Amino acid sequence: MNNLNLAWRNLWRNRRRTMITSASIFFAVFFALVMRSIQLGSYDHMYKNVIESYTGYIQVQHKDFWDEKIVDNTFAYDRQLERQLLEDENVEASIPRFESFALASNGPQTKGVLVMGVDPEKERYLSKVTDKMVKYRLTPEALEKIKQDSNLPEKVKELAILFENSAYTNNSRLQLDLGIDDKLASEIMPSIESYTAFQNASIHMGEPGVWVGDKLSQYLQLGIGDTIVLISQGYHATTAAGKYEIKGIVKLPLPDIDNKIVYLPLDICQELYNAEGNLTSLALAVSNNRDKTIAETVQRISKLVSEEHKVMEWREMNEVMVSQMDADDKGGQIMLGILYLVIAFGVFGTVLMLTAERKREFGVLVAIGMQKKKLASIMTLEMLLIGLLGILSGALVASVLILYGVEHPIVFKGETAKMFEEYGMEPKMAFWTIGTYYISQILIVVLMVLLAIGYPIRKIFGMNLVNALRA
Amino acid sequence: MIWKTAWKNVWRNKVRSLVVIISVTIGIFGGIFAVAVMNGAIEQRVDAALNEEIAHIHINHSNLRDNYDIQLFIPDLEQVLETVNATPGVKSVTSRTIITGMANTAAKSAGVQILGIDPETEKKVLKLYETTLPGTGSFFETESRHLLAYIGQDLAKELNIIRYMINDAVIDSLKKRELPEEILIKLAPYKGQRFKSEKSFKKEMKSILTLKEQHAYAVKIAKEAWSFRQRSKMTLTFIDKNQVQTGAVFRIAGIYDIKNNMFEMSQVLVKNEDLMELTGMTSKEMHQLVISLEDTEMTEEVTASLKSALPELEIMHWKEIQPDLAMMTDMIQKFYGVFMVIILAALAFGIVNTMLMVVLERTKELGMLTAIGMNKKRVFSMIMLESVFLSIVGGAVGMAVSKFMITLTARNGINLAGYEEGFEAMGFSAHIYPVISTSFFVTVTILIIVTGILSSIYPALKALKLDPSEALRTE
Repeated sequence: MNNLNLAWRNLWRNRRRTMITSASIFFAVFFALVMRSIQLGSYDHMYKNVIESYTGYIQVQHKDFWDEKIVDNTFAYDRQLERQLLEDENVEASIPRFESFALASNGPQTKGVLVMGVDPEKERYLSKVTDKMVKYRLTPEALEKIKQDSNLPEKVKELAILFENSAYTNNSRLQLDLGIDDKLASEIMPSIESYTAFQNASIHMGEPGVWVGDKLSQYLQLGIGDTIVLISQGYHATTAAGKYEIKGIVKLPLPDIDNKIVYLPLDICQELYNAEGNLTSLALAVSNNRDKTIAETVQRISKLVSEEHKVMEWREMNEVMVSQMDADDKGGQIMLGILYLVIAFGVFGTVLMLTAERKREFGVLVAIGMQKKKLASIMTLEMLLIGLLGILSGALVASVLILYGVEHPIVFKGETAKMFEEYGMEPKMAFWTIGTYYISQILIVVLMVLLAIGYPIRKIFGMNLVNALRA
Repeated sequence: MIWKTAWKNVWRNKVRSLVVIISVTIGIFGGIFAVAVMNGAIEQRVDAALNEEIAHIHINHSNLRDNYDIQLFIPDLEQVLETVNATPGVKSVTSRTIITGMANTAAKSAGVQILGIDPETEKKVLKLYETTLPGTGSFFETESRHLLAYIGQDLAKELNIIRYMINDAVIDSLKKRELPEEILIKLAPYKGQRFKSEKSFKKEMKSILTLKEQHAYAVKIAKEAWSFRQRSKMTLTFIDKNQVQTGAVFRIAGIYDIKNNMFEMSQVLVKNEDLMELTGMTSKEMHQLVISLEDTEMTEEVTASLKSALPELEIMHWKEIQPDLAMMTDMIQKFYGVFMVIILAALAFGIVNTMLMVVLERTKELGMLTAIGMNKKRVFSMIMLESVFLSIVGGAVGMAVSKFMITLTARNGINLAGYEEGFEAMGFSAHIYPVISTSFFVTVTILIIVTGILSSIYPALKALKLDPSEALRTE
């Protein structure tokens, strides 16, 4: 009979102890994996929001622009360079932008805003700003209609009042905020959609007109068709001033940007700042966004651009956010560390008892001629099997939950959603799919078990046969 | 008697009991200490908000906060002030004007909120003036014929008012601070160079220093190279009372540093008398009253009485002004509890296992006890008590160690300087002083006892199921 077989049978001699020890490992693995998944998922979600609706993964800028974001630090839109960049295997599209700061006003209301000159067609490759246009809004008029509709349940009406003035870029979020389940949706959503429908128009290159962020539009009390005045400093300290009609309202998933963004067609924006033909950045859409591939792409592109330019990666452009996530990540890991430490002691305790309990058995086995080495390896296998049982079952159950969570992220509705939004967060909890983070968790548990095994091994090799048999 | 037996039973197998006790100790210590660090960071955040940023209660025109329209003054200011001052619990009050505008220097511009304040009463309400960076001036204490503005450190950096440069004086004082010669040599080529921003300076330092050197000296070098030119200027542009764009050049009176990027970037304080002249407002025209209370606990009570006395105005307390802060303080308590429960659940597995072992090991003895007439209730409570003792001893040691460590670290704080940027962007200081309330220890004690009881149920039931005749026969 081989060692593994013996170890396996030994496990089931005291089924209860095996189960409890595995259960504690199961608990740790399950909890750690789910927590990591939620943590990584929320970082990914947050990074994606920022990267995909704002900075992009890679940008080519004037070498001084990042340190000093002024209009003088811009560079000429060089089509030759753009063609070269597009030849890179990982670059899908290059998106020209002109980004600056201005004071926006509507009569007495004034606010510092972020002016973004974009080519609306090209933004489809990156920020997809056209998808973020507001389609529905719970305006006071829409609320009035909702209140008067006798087909709508009271709860929906209450929630509609709570979310007054909220804007939506799609009907599913609207449905969630109003707490309407799918069954009821087909019945009442069409009428709610018709009450709340919001008319938006596009902006086009060459035609003066702006899109503004939803929060900003509320702050400045601006609606479609109103005029916004922008005042700033242009190229070489000229005065930049202009008035534009608001064509549309967009809602970005980043509250901090949503409350200050104004989109202008690129050429109109360059005209405003007296910087015709200049750009502050060329944002690049990439086909593969893995960290390593991005780094390689940055390296290749850095060789293409001239001394006047600088290539920036999303991590550099979002240092603060990266540092925040980093701190949060460390915090989460410390908590898991504490949890693992506790479990490690639990496992050690079990091993300790197991050894004491089987002292006599060990003695007998050695007395009838079993090699101590063989006994030790059986013990080791036994413990590893217990660990494996816990790891596998924990990983299995966690995986089921995680895979389900990836498909169906936790989306908060009603009052909880409102609270999240007030806090400046999207009311959504995303999971991160099964990945390399599994390996580290599993390694920790294996290490824990290996450390615990040290005790019985020492006991076996240092065993005094006579004493052991008498135990 | 049962108590004594249970206690003695704990120590029959010292090693085994100690393993459980130590694991409880570590779990409880880890949990409490982590909670204390988090709690400390949050309390510091709340303290900063109350003492330096917003105070306890704001009173303004009911539509002011929609868009800060300059025309929305507090009606009957004197009467309102009188009412506020007569309200019990109010410690001091100051009035402000608030205007949205833009701050420019030759190089850059930023959107800001300009607060027209009265330095004397402002000082009684908020302690912002205590955070003035040494060497940058003061909170409007020196007379000047120029217009003065008191701004945040981050805005000063953004507008290039604070710069970094390396010159002979910097090198000399670094020498005095006993920096190794090789670092001074590395810095020498930069003599006379000015850096446009903190970012470019830090980048340059990163490129010449090794990681080890950065850790040891980067902060010292930055402190020395940091430079602020006296009488720096900036232009503030805004819309006056008659909707006409206006502006003026302001000298920097001083620079404050409060570990909150958002606030530092956006709040510019100027003397109200200066602002009145520029905007055409009169001294009776104020936008907001800022109130500090004698005791934070009284916030809701005072808010309620102010609301009934001044129904026309918008009256908000700090939890309403900063709902994220309120949510954080309210939610975090629940989170602490959940965190401790998870740790205790992990500990429970260890305790269950040990107690199960205890029952199996003492099968014969338990059988004997039942045979000679010990009733089931007593057997059950004997085992339960042993389990509770195990967890309580571990818990007590864990709590004592936590208390000790919290006191120890609270003296100098824990400095997470590496994450400063991220922390300050959220309004937190990266220098944390752990703190936790006594009531939390009480909660944890209760949780520990409950854990002890719950994890003894299964083993104790096992003990009850023993058939005395069978049990007596086991070896």
